[in-house]
Amino acid sequence: MLKPYCLRDIIGDRMKNESHFRAPISNTFRKKTPFNQLLDHMGKVRECVDLLGVGLIKYYKGDYKDFSELAKKVSKLEHQADLIKSDLRSHLPSKLLMPVDKGRFLWTLREQDAILDHAENLVEMLDMRHTKIPKELQPIFIEHANLVIETVKAMEIAIENIRDLVETGFVKREREQTKEYIHKVHDFEYKADKKRYEMTKGIYKLEKKLSPMNVYHLLKIVDWVDEIADHAENVSDWLRSMIAK
Amino acid sequence: MELNNILIIGSMSTIAFYMAWCIGANDVANSMATAVGAKAITHKQAVLIAGVLVFVGAIIVGPHVSETIKSGIININTINSSLIILGFISALLSAAFWITLSTWKEMPISTTHSIIGALMGFGIVAGGIGSVNWVKVGSVALSWLLSPLFGCILAFLIFKIIVRSIFAKKEPVKSAKVVGPIIIGFTGFLITASLFLKTPLSENFNITEIHGIIISIIVSIIISIIAIYLFSSIKAKKEEDYLTVENIFKKLQIGTSCYVAFSIGANDVANAIGPVAGIIQDGTLSQATSIPLWLLALGGIGIAVGAMTWGRKVMQTVGNRITNLTNTRGFSVDFGAATTVLVASKLGMPISTSHTVVGAVIGVGLARGLEAVNLNVIKKIVISWLLTLPIAAGTCIVIYLCLSHIA
Repeated sequence: MLKPYCLRDIIGDRMKNESHFRAPISNTFRKKTPFNQLLDHMGKVRECVDLLGVGLIKYYKGDYKDFSELAKKVSKLEHQADLIKSDLRSHLPSKLLMPVDKGRFLWTLREQDAILDHAENLVEMLDMRHTKIPKELQPIFIEHANLVIETVKAMEIAIENIRDLVETGFVKREREQTKEYIHKVHDFEYKADKKRYEMTKGIYKLEKKLSPMNVYHLLKIVDWVDEIADHAENVSDWLRSMIAK
Repeated sequence: MELNNILIIGSMSTIAFYMAWCIGANDVANSMATAVGAKAITHKQAVLIAGVLVFVGAIIVGPHVSETIKSGIININTINSSLIILGFISALLSAAFWITLSTWKEMPISTTHSIIGALMGFGIVAGGIGSVNWVKVGSVALSWLLSPLFGCILAFLIFKIIVRSIFAKKEPVKSAKVVGPIIIGFTGFLITASLFLKTPLSENFNITEIHGIIISIIVSIIISIIAIYLFSSIKAKKEEDYLTVENIFKKLQIGTSCYVAFSIGANDVANAIGPVAGIIQDGTLSQATSIPLWLLALGGIGIAVGAMTWGRKVMQTVGNRITNLTNTRGFSVDFGAATTVLVASKLGMPISTSHTVVGAVIGVGLARGLEAVNLNVIKKIVISWLLTLPIAAGTCIVIYLCLSHIA
């Protein structure tokens, strides 16, 4: 999986159209910066979650039109993000000096990628069987979906602050600011967790009215949507340990 | 005999000019690329700055290092003087040959290492192991280890100073407007001090050390005031306006680019003209006592022409590759590397400028200033050290033996 970082890679594409010269300095640099790639990857998460936010609420309200379309779009985004992820991973050799712990950096990336994986699984499952959400549960489902989206959005803000962290060489003020953003992620995740508890309770209350298959699917939806928030929280936790001194 | 002399001087000067051209095309471009990569200066400006300041550095601080290459590496007295001409020709030829080959093969070897290796080879074959001044060679080799380390430490410190005194402050832009002029004033002090302390310039104008320091202080204050004036209109657009800080350093980096060019001229000109200086004295062949000015000028012009002709292309490519080097980082790298090279030049130590720049880049990386620095380059550089010396020496021995059979 991790192929060794090869100077020929750099030299290779240079050789095509440039003349020869000796350049030890340029060999110390990577063409793409790892943090920018992490932010690119986050951009895919953002696009996906924006789509999901609108799509989920429509689905909860019983509007299944265009949902297959959405599933395709999410799947495409997941694939694009995968390409960024593997490119990033395959170009981080052991001798690469980074301002943060490389392991923690890769864990942040991994958890960020997990958001997309779960989103893809969720929309595919939802697309396979259109499970009707009972009228009395609809408001709480929508509230929960919004909280999950808010959690991911808070995570995006925290990750976005990496730009300032890198620019300032990880000064204390910027680290404190990132920690504040991370606190917000925790807040939203906590609220989403509470909501999830209420939803599960609500589903069990209606278990006599609903078919077993519906109960099964409703519980599954709750779990899978909530997991997206869990992974967003994991991202922020790894981010926090990444920037710790 | 007269004709012969002219022929020898002519051919040696040609090879020396070729060496200087190579240095200009490769080393200057390599070192100025940090400024181009950070978009502090355009390629055209870089070429112009390099051309002029390399020339100045070569003429004023260049003699120190040239002296070392001319007579420090081998004890000329132990070798028959008729062999010396041949030997220095082979040394220059083999070094030039290696630079051409390494340029073609893109090996990061150093011009400095090649010429010293070649001279050692000549010393061994012409006068035996004893004719090589091993103490001097040892100290030069030590300086090769120390110069990247020194560049690394200096760049680390200067970047840490920038972080502590600018980025960590509540109003970074306001702090940058104070700290920037101070640092650039200090840079100006170092350049002028090196111009006036123990150089031909100070001897010609009878400037004592104290006067030199006073002049340098005055110049640095003037530079600081100009910088303060230039920055006075800059205002922060928001509280954490790091972009404006970078823009301030973009202007300051023009200063450090000059510094880099100047120090390259001071150190690298010797690689081309050192061997020639060993045998040419006022247009005649004899063991020279001092280095004639026209030879330094020839080397300086050669480097400048190299930077202007081929260096442009190199600068463009290397510069494009290192675009993730922002201005504050580029400033730190340039400052660390140029100071190291200049100090080494003053001590008469021939060091590799591009290797020192690599050391400085790693220093900024260690200060958490860069996103990803590939440490594998260090291994490559160490290997190139270890290989260049014996290879250049071997080539020089072969060329020398061939030439002595013909002659």
